[in-house]
Amino acid sequence: MSEKLLKIENLETMIEDKKILKGLNLEIGKGEVHVIMGPNGAGKSTLANTLMGHPKYTIVKGDIIFEGEIINDLRVDERAKKGIFLSFQYPEEIPGVTVENFLRTAKGAVSGKQMSIMAFKKLLKEKIKMLDMKEEYLSRYLNEGFSGGEKKKNEILQMAVLEPKLAILDETDSGLDVDAIRIVAEGVKKIIENTDTSVLVITHHNKMLDYLRPDFVHVLIDGRIVKTGDMNLAKEIESSGYEALKNQLGE
Amino acid sequence: MYSIELLNGLLCKKEEWIKAYRLRKFEEFEKLPVPSWKRLKLENFSIPDFKEYRKEFLKNDIDGEGIFVKDINDVSALDEFKEYIDVQKSFGISDKFVTLGEAFYNSGVVIKAASKLKEPVRISYSLDNENSVVIDHNIIVAERDSEITVVIDYSSLSENEEYMNFFHNGVTKVYAADKAVVNIVKVQRMSNSAYHFDSNVAFIGREAKVNWISVEIGSGISATSFITNLEKTASESSLKSIYFGDGESRIDMQYTMNHIGMRSISNIETRGALKDKARKVFRGNLDFKKGARKAKGEEAEYALLLDPTVKADAIPVLFCAEDDVQGNHAASAGQIDENQLFYLMSRGFNEKEAKKLIVEASFKPIIDSIPVEDIKESINLEIHRRLVYV
Repeated sequence: MSEKLLKIENLETMIEDKKILKGLNLEIGKGEVHVIMGPNGAGKSTLANTLMGHPKYTIVKGDIIFEGEIINDLRVDERAKKGIFLSFQYPEEIPGVTVENFLRTAKGAVSGKQMSIMAFKKLLKEKIKMLDMKEEYLSRYLNEGFSGGEKKKNEILQMAVLEPKLAILDETDSGLDVDAIRIVAEGVKKIIENTDTSVLVITHHNKMLDYLRPDFVHVLIDGRIVKTGDMNLAKEIESSGYEALKNQLGE
Repeated sequence: MYSIELLNGLLCKKEEWIKAYRLRKFEEFEKLPVPSWKRLKLENFSIPDFKEYRKEFLKNDIDGEGIFVKDINDVSALDEFKEYIDVQKSFGISDKFVTLGEAFYNSGVVIKAASKLKEPVRISYSLDNENSVVIDHNIIVAERDSEITVVIDYSSLSENEEYMNFFHNGVTKVYAADKAVVNIVKVQRMSNSAYHFDSNVAFIGREAKVNWISVEIGSGISATSFITNLEKTASESSLKSIYFGDGESRIDMQYTMNHIGMRSISNIETRGALKDKARKVFRGNLDFKKGARKAKGEEAEYALLLDPTVKADAIPVLFCAEDDVQGNHAASAGQIDENQLFYLMSRGFNEKEAKKLIVEASFKPIIDSIPVEDIKESINLEIHRRLVYV
C-alpha cells in the first residue's frame, strides 16, 4: 500500500449559510497527480480553499488528514509550513513588495530557515530559467500590473521556489491562451519530475492534462466526487459533458 | 512664555528690518487665540515654553557656486530674502502657530538655488532633553531653471518619562521661479511624547514644479499643513505622504492645491495606517480658481485601519470657480483585505507578519522616492518598530 500524503474523509464545508462540500472523499499518494473536474458551482474552488484553510470556509463534518495528522484546525500559515501550497485562481496584487523579496521571505517562512542571499539568488535563477521567465520579473511589485498569464506563471514560480509536498493548482489554466497553458503546464511538469511532489489540479479543460498526464481523474458534482477514473474519463467528459455523466449515474 | 521680553532678548544684534518684521509678527501672535482641533479632541492646548536649540542642524555644507545655504540666524543670511520672508496670504495650520514661528524661530535655513543641484541639502533635528524645542523658519527659493532637493528630518529621543513635551513648530516658505524644480522631503519620526506642528506654503512659477514628500510616523500630536499655489501656466505640484498613528496619537493633515494658472497640474497621494486608539483627519482641497482653464487636479487618500478602536476622517473637497477643469478625488478607509491576508498566509507568513508586510508595502513606493538612503533606512526601522504589536 502506497503511503498516503493526503486523506479527505467525508468532508462537509459551508460558506456563510450554504453547504458546498457534502461528504467528499479523496486520497492522494506521494508523487501522484490528481485532477478534479466538475461543472460550475460544484465546489472545486471551495475544496482548494478549504484545504488551504481560508477563514471563510467552515468545516462542519469530516477530516482533512495530511501526513497522518488531522489539520482541520490548523492556521493557513501552519498548513503552508507543513508543505501545502495553493496556486491561486486570482492571485492578489501586493504593491510595494518585489517578487524577489517576497519569495525570499516566503521561502524563509515556509522552510523555517533563512537562506543566504547568494544561495537564494542562485536557486531563484535556476527556477526562473526552468520556467522560461525573464529576470526583470523579480524586481517588479508582486502581481501588480501583471497580465493574467504572468500572474499564473508567477504562482508556478512560487511553487518551484517553495517546494511544497502538495501543490493545489486552482484553475491555473483559466484565462490563459494555448501557448501560456503549455508553458505553465510544462513548468509544473518540470517541477514535479524531479521530486515526489503531489499535485491536485482543478480544471475545466483538458489542455493542461495532456501535458501533466494525471494518474487519477475525479469528477466533482454537487459537493461530492461521483466518479474516478483515468485520462479517458477526462476525454469522455470533454466529448459528452457533465449532463451525460449525471444521467449515466442516475443523479 | 512667549513674551516681548523674550523676543527682545532674541532680537539683540539683529538687523533693524528683521527686528521690525519679527516684532510685527509678535503683535499678530499676541492677539490670536490658541486654536482648538475639535475632530482630534485637542482643546485648551498650552504651547510648551521657548528654549534654544543648540545642536547643529545643517548636515552637509554645500554652500557654494549656484547654491546659497545658511542658518537663518547667521548674520546677514536674510539680506537676500527680504522679498520672500513675508507671505501676504494667510496659510498654515493656524495663524497663531505661523506667527509663533515667524516671531520666535530658534532655527531654520535660508536656501537659494541658481543652478541644477544633484546633492540634496540635508537638515536634521534630533530633539533631546536639553534641546527639546525646535521652532524653525525656512525660506527656500529656486531661481529660474534651477533644481534643488531639501530633506528635513525631525527625530527625538525615544519615550522618556521625564520629558513629555518635545515641541516642534515649523514654517516653511517655498518659491519656485519659472521652470525651476523644488523637491522638499519632510520626515517626522519623533516619539509619541512630542508635539509636531508644521506649516508649509509654496508659490510656483510658469512650468515650474514643487514636489512634496511628507512622512508622519511619530508624535502624539501632529498637525501639518501644505498649501501650494500653482500660480502660472503649467505650474505643477505633487504631494505624496504617508502617516502612521498608534497609541493615542492624533494626526491632522490639511493639504490644499490652489490652481490659479492655466493647465496647472496637481496630485495628492496619501497612504496611512492607524492602530490602537489613534485618530486622524485628512483634509484635501483642490481649489480651481477662475481662469485656471484646463487645469487638472487629483487627490487620493487610503487608510488602513488595524484596530476597531481607531478613528479616521477624510474630507476631500473640490472647489470649482472655473468650468474647464478636471478634478478627481478618492478616499478609502478599511481593514486589511481578507483575501490579501489569506494569500500571504498561504505562503507561510503568520497573521502578524502578513499584516506588517501589507502596511509596509503600502508605504514603500513613497518611501522609495526619498533620495537619501540613510533616511529611508531610519523610516523603515521606525515603521517596523511601531508595527511590532500589530
